[in-house]
Amino acid sequence: MALLLDFFTTAALLFIVSSGLMMIYGVMKIVNFAHGAIISVGGYAAFMVARLGIPGWYGWALAFAVGFAIGALVERLIVLPLYNRPLDAILATWGLGIVLIQIITMIFGRSTQLVESPMDGTFAIFGTAYSSYRLIMIPVALVLCAAVIGLLNGTRFGIKTKAVIMNEALAESIGINASRIRFIAFSLGAGLGTLAGYLITPLSSVDPYMGVAWLINAFMLVMVAGSSFVGLFVTCLVFGTLQVLVSIYVNPVIGGMAIAVLAAITLRIRPQGFSHV
Amino acid sequence: MYNRTLKKALPIPALICLALIVLGPYVCSMYLVNLLIKAFFFTVAAIAVDILWGYTGYLTFGQSAFFGIGAYCAGLVFTHLGFTDGNIALALALALVLPAALSFFVGWLSFYRGASEFFPCVISLVVPIVVMQLVLSGGEFTGSSSGLTGFDTFEFDMDGWFWLSGGFMLAVAMAAHFFLQSDGGKVLVAIRDNEQRCAYLGLNPERIKILLMTVLGAVTGLAGFGYASFSGVVAPELTGFQFGTELIMWVALSGRATLWGPVLGTLLINVATGYLSSSIPFVWQLILGLSFILVIILLPKGLIPLIFRQLGKASPMAPELQAAQISAPYSGAHALDMQKVAKSYGSLSVLSDITLTGDQGELIGIIGPNGAGKTTLMRCMSDGTARTSGLVSLCGHDIGKAAPQKCVGFGLGRKFQNANIFQTLTVAQCLRMARFIVEKPSFLQESSVLKLPQYVLDVLKVTGLDGKLSAVASDLSHGEQQALELTMVLALEPKVVLLDEPTAGLTLPERRGIGKIFSDLAHKYSLCCLLVEHDLDFVKEVATRIVVLHHGTIVMQGTPEEVVNSELVQTIYAGARQE
Repeated sequence: MALLLDFFTTAALLFIVSSGLMMIYGVMKIVNFAHGAIISVGGYAAFMVARLGIPGWYGWALAFAVGFAIGALVERLIVLPLYNRPLDAILATWGLGIVLIQIITMIFGRSTQLVESPMDGTFAIFGTAYSSYRLIMIPVALVLCAAVIGLLNGTRFGIKTKAVIMNEALAESIGINASRIRFIAFSLGAGLGTLAGYLITPLSSVDPYMGVAWLINAFMLVMVAGSSFVGLFVTCLVFGTLQVLVSIYVNPVIGGMAIAVLAAITLRIRPQGFSHV
Repeated sequence: MYNRTLKKALPIPALICLALIVLGPYVCSMYLVNLLIKAFFFTVAAIAVDILWGYTGYLTFGQSAFFGIGAYCAGLVFTHLGFTDGNIALALALALVLPAALSFFVGWLSFYRGASEFFPCVISLVVPIVVMQLVLSGGEFTGSSSGLTGFDTFEFDMDGWFWLSGGFMLAVAMAAHFFLQSDGGKVLVAIRDNEQRCAYLGLNPERIKILLMTVLGAVTGLAGFGYASFSGVVAPELTGFQFGTELIMWVALSGRATLWGPVLGTLLINVATGYLSSSIPFVWQLILGLSFILVIILLPKGLIPLIFRQLGKASPMAPELQAAQISAPYSGAHALDMQKVAKSYGSLSVLSDITLTGDQGELIGIIGPNGAGKTTLMRCMSDGTARTSGLVSLCGHDIGKAAPQKCVGFGLGRKFQNANIFQTLTVAQCLRMARFIVEKPSFLQESSVLKLPQYVLDVLKVTGLDGKLSAVASDLSHGEQQALELTMVLALEPKVVLLDEPTAGLTLPERRGIGKIFSDLAHKYSLCCLLVEHDLDFVKEVATRIVVLHHGTIVMQGTPEEVVNSELVQTIYAGARQE
């Protein structure tokens, strides 16, 4: 039972962390390598919220807002000139990641900080005691997934976004402001990134590089998932499960690189990944 | 004294490096000498990244892994086996072979037909992560996170190390310099510009990239070996992705695809880092990060070319044109033979039951309205994976599932509908790429003579390209680019030539001239030409036979008069009369 919960919570965490990257890659086919640093920003938002004594759960909105604002600024200044040079966009956003991390380090220092979990203790489910905070990540991921899919399928913005994904030139010619759609998508993606950082913080400690460790896994998952959130959900479930299994039965170090290696192999065999699941 | 030839062989940045290496120990402080020795080794890795990314277009985050493996070969062997003559040879051999073998494997994994643009980049991210995790999990053997220190190593003094490392760096840089300047070395840029065109010139871009990676893997491994031997320390960070991205940053800041840019830039940045990272540690990283973003956005060519303007520019040299010996025409039956070829996407049938033969000396015009399947037909002739069923043979070779470069080897040449050329190479360099499989170019120097078949010289003359040999292809007009692609295809000395609207964008006199050349190709040089054209008048004039394609099938074949005057063709083109 605990194993099963491990699968689901790991998958949930992976989905939370990679959804912001997906938002950006799905719409603009640009890989935001600053995502790791943006996750760190979310972690420090959680740290600040806890320090100032604001009740933990209210911080969500704050974390999201901070990320959204950063995303908006970055889209206009850095990403906009690089739409036609996707490989350069990877590099520029990586440079941005370095800048963000250095700024964080200058403000908060290099050391690791701890943030208290807003939910302590364990929760018994079917007779198995399990960390409540980890457990709560499952509904959080489900809600997040539903919200994003709802946004993309059920709203006007979503339909316009899909039009831009499929054929940008055509979308523009029928009056959709593609540049605004991309602007919003990028900001949303960054907001989801800080939110993810905020959410995972109670499970680990906070340090400037905390997000970078997640970046590669998130990147690989998004590559395999293609451009659909359902695909991402399935991908997270499959690779999360594999990671847990490898960590337990083979070796935790190899488990740490299981996602990267397995995703690379998947892409080699099936270049389109899970995008048509 | 310092004339153009010498400047080309030994550019100013190379002289600066040479002066630094010779004089360094006499003028620099001990601290600076120490910094520079390490920087020389890093520069070798940066050169490798520049060749792979700047010149060949393969963005790699993973070159650090090969550097790190080379370093660990030294560290592990000297720590565990001891520092003896035999072990030095062993460590050195391992530091060359292991990174080369891993590079080969990574290349094989990354480069295959139909890989997405991001895929090799993704793989290059995974490699350093895997290597670093392996090092970290190595326990006592690899020293885990603290690495290996205190092993015995070479006992040179600082000056000796300086000259050795500097000499090694300069040797690698000069080798790269001559290779990249040579006619053959331009193949890297050709791959960066247009892999499809490379394949249709009979080159195998995947194989070239894998070979390049293997060689550069070994060179980078050797640099890592040197670094570890000098510093007496190996740390897992040397294998990591962070260091891999730093290499890219150095190359990007100083100027990708300029070779000497990254050489000077890497040295400067490392020296600056050595001095500034202790006084203003975070601010310095911040400055580097910010300038990296700014350079990527505003100055993709990097900073060093601002000082040395000649760096990275195309060669201004126009070689002398000469007529080449043309290989004998194909003498077997049917140069082109298609039997019951069909192509469908799922249930949508694009081509069906195409049976078509072409002989040497024929000029077959293929006509048909838009969407008739003309371009698909050309693709089925030139790429073994394109058709769904049926047989295609070129000059007696069944093409099976052969890749385009194989088909080119069988004697095919294909001109695309849109000008498909190498944007950043000059006209002469484009043509030389096209001659690659006929006459291997030199990998050491730029030849002053360019030999081409007579009919290519004719086309060059008619279109005026012979006066623009040193012009960069992207600066040519649309019509000139079309003509350039045509000459590149013909320079292959193909037996079967596929021409997809070769005269689009040309002026009327040029079209007349080209038409005459097409007739010559077929009648004088016995090639089998297939010509897709919309312009019926043009086709009527030059073609010996016309094939009419409609809804994916051949509806009519015959002499130009028969076809053009037939009711069928008039119906297809002008529409049926409404009853």
